[in-house]
Amino acid sequence: MGEGRDPTIQSVDRAARILKALAAGSPRLGVSELAERLGLAKTTVHGLLRTLERQDLVEQDPETGKYRLGPELLQLGNAFLDHHELRGRSLVWADTLAERVGEAVRVGVLYGRSVLVVHHVFRPDDSVQILEVGASVPWHASALGKVHAAFLPSDRRRTLVSGPLQRLTGRTIVDPHALALALEDVAAAGFATEAHEAVIGEGEVAAAVFDHRGHPVGAIGVVGPVERLLPGGPPAELVIALTDTARRLSWEMGARRGRPGSVGHPAPRASVGG
Amino acid sequence: MPNSNGRMATQDAMNPKDVRHRRTSRSRCAPLYAGLTQVAQVAKVAAVTTGVSAGRRGRRGAPPPFDAAFVARWLQGSAAEIAAHRDFLTQLDAAIGDADHGVNMDRGFAAVASVVAAADGLSPGELLVQAGATLVLRVGGAAGPLYGSALREAGRSLGTASTFGLPELTGALDAALAGIVKLGAAEEGDKTIVDAWMPALQALRDARSAGAAAALHAARIAAEGGAAATTPMEARKGRASYLGARSVGHQDPGAASTSLLFGALERAAADAPPDG
Repeated sequence: MGEGRDPTIQSVDRAARILKALAAGSPRLGVSELAERLGLAKTTVHGLLRTLERQDLVEQDPETGKYRLGPELLQLGNAFLDHHELRGRSLVWADTLAERVGEAVRVGVLYGRSVLVVHHVFRPDDSVQILEVGASVPWHASALGKVHAAFLPSDRRRTLVSGPLQRLTGRTIVDPHALALALEDVAAAGFATEAHEAVIGEGEVAAAVFDHRGHPVGAIGVVGPVERLLPGGPPAELVIALTDTARRLSWEMGARRGRPGSVGHPAPRASVGG
Repeated sequence: MPNSNGRMATQDAMNPKDVRHRRTSRSRCAPLYAGLTQVAQVAKVAAVTTGVSAGRRGRRGAPPPFDAAFVARWLQGSAAEIAAHRDFLTQLDAAIGDADHGVNMDRGFAAVASVVAAADGLSPGELLVQAGATLVLRVGGAAGPLYGSALREAGRSLGTASTFGLPELTGALDAALAGIVKLGAAEEGDKTIVDAWMPALQALRDARSAGAAAALHAARIAAEGGAAATTPMEARKGRASYLGARSVGHQDPGAASTSLLFGALERAAADAPPDG
């Protein structure tokens, strides 16, 4: 072996990097471009691409000879969603919540430093909306991410807070100290809010979902225009509907009733802005 | 509606990865330019029918000082332009947003137009501050807060002076851009309003010695060029920042509406009523 204890298989790692390069921006890349981007020999990249092509994970454009992502990835992505327990259990609850509050609902899970949206129910009106399933939102700019992070063990919370904090808008909290304080407020309140922090004009209120050990497994949130969702502070009825849904979803995920760390009925705070 | 089972298959269908390129941007812009003559007429009528006093204009030959009537013509003209391009702006927004930019902007600027018509005795700066507050209240999405703070900052920089010249106008547009950047944290190339506003401001500065009319003409051309140049860009702000590359191939709706505002600005200076 000689490579120490790292059990990584180099070619699998390289194949994964090829797929990620094809997914990041440029929709089609040639062998030379990929080789240059990844710092690999052209023959190596060529071999990896042919192997991936055989599995339908990439495909070659017959006209330009360049490579793009393959159809099998969609099957894999759908399988990921189908097997995702929180997503599966949240389908009905999210629909009900959206109907109850008349706004869009998202379910997200913190992976690394981003929240992956695993379920999205459109606002129940006829307006054009974009499906955000699969979107990856920086955790600190999202109420889903903040509320998930607020209930993590303190060492993981510290790592998140001290890591790189990208500025998405002028309102994104990028100061580690301010963010740490915000998470304390979130843990005390039992829900998180976000206004203009990811997208100007949009806001979100979210509550965490817990498993049988009382650990957060994700979050469910209501998204909408700031002026309607957060006129000063979140409306009490919205917070009650949301935390009620999060608690029932937690029970479905195995959380014990009344266990500390699970969502209780926090008293909605009065208007923060007033 | 992909409510309870909206999986990635649906998302993929909405994801035009087979991006359109520069070639088509010209034809996409066509509706923007086609209606301009007609819009200029509408703007003129709107300005005449506002009832806002025309104010005083400098001596013939001297650079005309801008006044409250000029600001009123600008805002009314902007409202008329946006109304005429409502569907175009909405179409652009459908690529990445909620397809509501045109509708929201039209609603907001119509409200601004009636605020302007009702305002009496306000200084140019005060008029802009009021227009900005109206936009924040009446336009949803990102456009309300962004254009609202732009007009408010522009108004604040003009203060309570009753007339002002090209340097103050440039300063006001600069303050407006600073307001947009502060709220949105966008840079040039992020495919936002900034990509039209910044080149327009630069052109205005470069052409300032040629006189107000020529400078504002140059600003409008630069704003339109900036808006058109957003077509091949990948959006890095708003939802696009976490939804990926599907914005490529479409002009940014915010940059497009900014070019309309600079068009109205040029005409507001050109359409000054004759000396009374």
